[in-house]
Amino acid sequence: MKFLAMCSTGLGSSFMVRMNIETIVRELDLPDITVEHSDISSAGPDSADVFFVAKDLEDAAHGLGDVVVLNSIIDMDELREAVKSAAARHGLV
Amino acid sequence: MLSRLLPERNIHFTSSTLTWREAITQVAAPLLEAGDITPEYIRAMLDSVEAGGTYIDLGHGIALAHARPERGVVRTGIAMLRLAEPAALLDQPEHAVDLYFCFAAADADAHMRAMASLARILSDADTRQALRDAASAAEVVELITEFEESE
Repeated sequence: MKFLAMCSTGLGSSFMVRMNIETIVRELDLPDITVEHSDISSAGPDSADVFFVAKDLEDAAHGLGDVVVLNSIIDMDELREAVKSAAARHGLV
Repeated sequence: MLSRLLPERNIHFTSSTLTWREAITQVAAPLLEAGDITPEYIRAMLDSVEAGGTYIDLGHGIALAHARPERGVVRTGIAMLRLAEPAALLDQPEHAVDLYFCFAAADADAHMRAMASLARILSDADTRQALRDAASAAEVVELITEFEESE
């Protein structure tokens, strides 16, 4: 199972979200999830199972598949719930 | 890591009402004065927001202004500006920001390490609130140093 955090450059916020997802994955002890980050323009529907973007990129992420839109990229509580639901949707918990 | 990149001289507070352009220009001013960035970097940050870059809004009233390293970063550095009144990105009320950071990374490696450090601090709810409540540059430095020592 692959989670992909994306932002427009693939440098800044996507990396922050990736780190935070990794922390949560460890904290929740979720099995078999790899987390990566990239710029949104190089991501396609096959790039990951779940895509995470901040809300300004919601439209750009349309069509990728399972897209999670975050209101704040530094809100761990919001992200924790999002990761939990994504894991549940894909039968990991 | 962060305490070294964000020294007290790079942290400022203002009671003036600013536009988002003024806020980004002012937060970057200490880096420009120190020669860490060129004026081109400030233009690049402003251009990227102008082009729809509300992605620099991290949420919780915090924005991280940045551009690509090759657009005028000489030395890696970070600066912070606390506003008394929010300056909304692109004048959009949903992007009201009263805590601006300017992030200038000289290369990809410096970028990753500094960004990781900043992300840990801003994602920690208690430290984030303490940072928002801080009333002086010295207090901000103390908070960051304490956080780094506790890791």
